[in-house]
Amino acid sequence: MDRRDFLKRFIKAFFFALSLSIISIISYIYPTKIKQKKTFYIYLTEEENLPKIGIRRFEYIFKNEEKTINSFVFLKKDDKGLAVFSPFCTHLGCLVKWNNIQKEFICACHGGRFDVEGKVIAGPPPMPLERLPFDIKDGKVYIGIKLYG
Amino acid sequence: MMDTFNKDKRVKKFYPDYLSEIIFTMLIAFELLIIFVLLYPPVVGRQIDLTKPFQPIPEWYFLWLFKLVGYFHGSFAFIGTVIIPLIFVLLLLFIPFIDHGRYGRIKAIIAGMIILIGFIGLTIFSIL
Amino acid sequence: MGKVFDWLDRQFHLISPHKRFFQRSVPPDLNYTYCFGGIAFTYFLILVFSGLLLSIYYVPSENDAYKSVMIITNEVPLGWVIRGMHKWSASFFIIFIIIHAIRVFVSKAYRPPRELNWIVGSLTLITAMASGFTGYLLPWDQKAYWATEVGTSMVGTIPFIGKYLMYAIRGGAEVNAATLIRFYSMHVLYLPLITGILLWFHFHMIKRQGISAKL
Ligand code: HEM
Ligand code: FES
Repeated sequence: MDRRDFLKRFIKAFFFALSLSIISIISYIYPTKIKQKKTFYIYLTEEENLPKIGIRRFEYIFKNEEKTINSFVFLKKDDKGLAVFSPFCTHLGCLVKWNNIQKEFICACHGGRFDVEGKVIAGPPPMPLERLPFDIKDGKVYIGIKLYG
Repeated sequence: MMDTFNKDKRVKKFYPDYLSEIIFTMLIAFELLIIFVLLYPPVVGRQIDLTKPFQPIPEWYFLWLFKLVGYFHGSFAFIGTVIIPLIFVLLLLFIPFIDHGRYGRIKAIIAGMIILIGFIGLTIFSIL
Repeated sequence: MGKVFDWLDRQFHLISPHKRFFQRSVPPDLNYTYCFGGIAFTYFLILVFSGLLLSIYYVPSENDAYKSVMIITNEVPLGWVIRGMHKWSASFFIIFIIIHAIRVFVSKAYRPPRELNWIVGSLTLITAMASGFTGYLLPWDQKAYWATEVGTSMVGTIPFIGKYLMYAIRGGAEVNAATLIRFYSMHVLYLPLITGILLWFHFHMIKRQGISAKL
């Protein structure tokens, strides 16, 4: 192996080491445990507490080994039946409020507004409010909250 | 007051003329800070709570961005969140190169004004 | 000068390499508007100093961050002064960088050969704002949490890659304990270090090029 060959290999080895380092830096920075969102069913309330008609806010507490989440959902009841809305604004993630006079969900952050069906009527949100699955069994209401599990 | 250091007004030295001015203003800056600290002591907010809708107000130097974001709806949101801020940043960084050629200074002034008026204007809108 | 200083000077040669710099003439129409950069630097020094003091009590963990800021503010004797200094000098730092930049712009001092120094100065403004953003999360209260939720979600709006960038910034899918540690590390290690290096460049170039004369 002459000097030139050696130098070539040396440079190759250097680029190998360099790219390995860069790849490991990126994969080090990028979080490992990004899982898909999973649906967890939790007990919310008794069926008799549901609104006859209109929107009501229900708080829940979710607990597992990893985390405790204390948040809320909106339940809507009308002639179309029951619907559960997640309160997280689809724009940048603030919590929305139900305004019973205007009959709208309002996000104070950038003025996003949604109608009773969760559809965007004004402001920047790109998507309607997320509808959560639910289940009523033996007079008990269960809702499926979505978490990165 | 600093002129006592140099009899001849037309000659200014880094030391002592300029340095003394700098140190003097640094001390004023420090005193100004202490006045604000004593007048407006820091507070701690409420604990994180996912049950109460909360409108986060950013620090004053991000109010412009906060306002800008609200103008772009739906799938155009990224124009307000990244594209326009990026343009601001690039304009700022490249001012020395914008000031080039015959109307260079005018172009630079326009670029500077876009940034400054954008910043101040949006900040004022967000407070209103 | 004093004996101690003379002794130090014999060891480190402080004076001779800087003699030319200290004795150099500056433009005669220099006025107090040329001191805004120095003021901004003062606030940077105060930020580093008060930040290092805060980090003695601050605990960057999900369960203790809020409590530790509470302790700094209410229990540590005069802790609120240190915290207030950190908070207020962060604001003043940014105000005076902006005023300083306006002065440089008005006096056309960004022109050759000082283009690079304008760029370095602008980058300091960006790192300062980034420090402000990452620092805002550290008290781990309502304001901190939601501002970070909104701020990091903004990155998520970039088409295609936005979501992955956002995960990388948050250190996970949501703003959580991992985000707090990431932001803490950025806030107290990376960003001050980068800002410090940028400022060193900035001053070094001023030393080499002198202060621009008004046209
Ligand atoms: C070596 C430098 C620095 C260190 C060690 C440091 C450390 C800290 C620590 C431990 C906290 C949490 C305590 C608290 O919230 O009161 C904090 C908060 C904060 N820091 Fe820094 N910091 C440094 C530089 C900076 C810089 C350069 C800026 C901005 C321009 C900055 C802006 C902030 C802000 C806005 C907060 C939130 C304060 C609050 O809400 O009370 N820091 N910093
Ligand atoms: S987060 Fe709801 S409108 Fe922006």
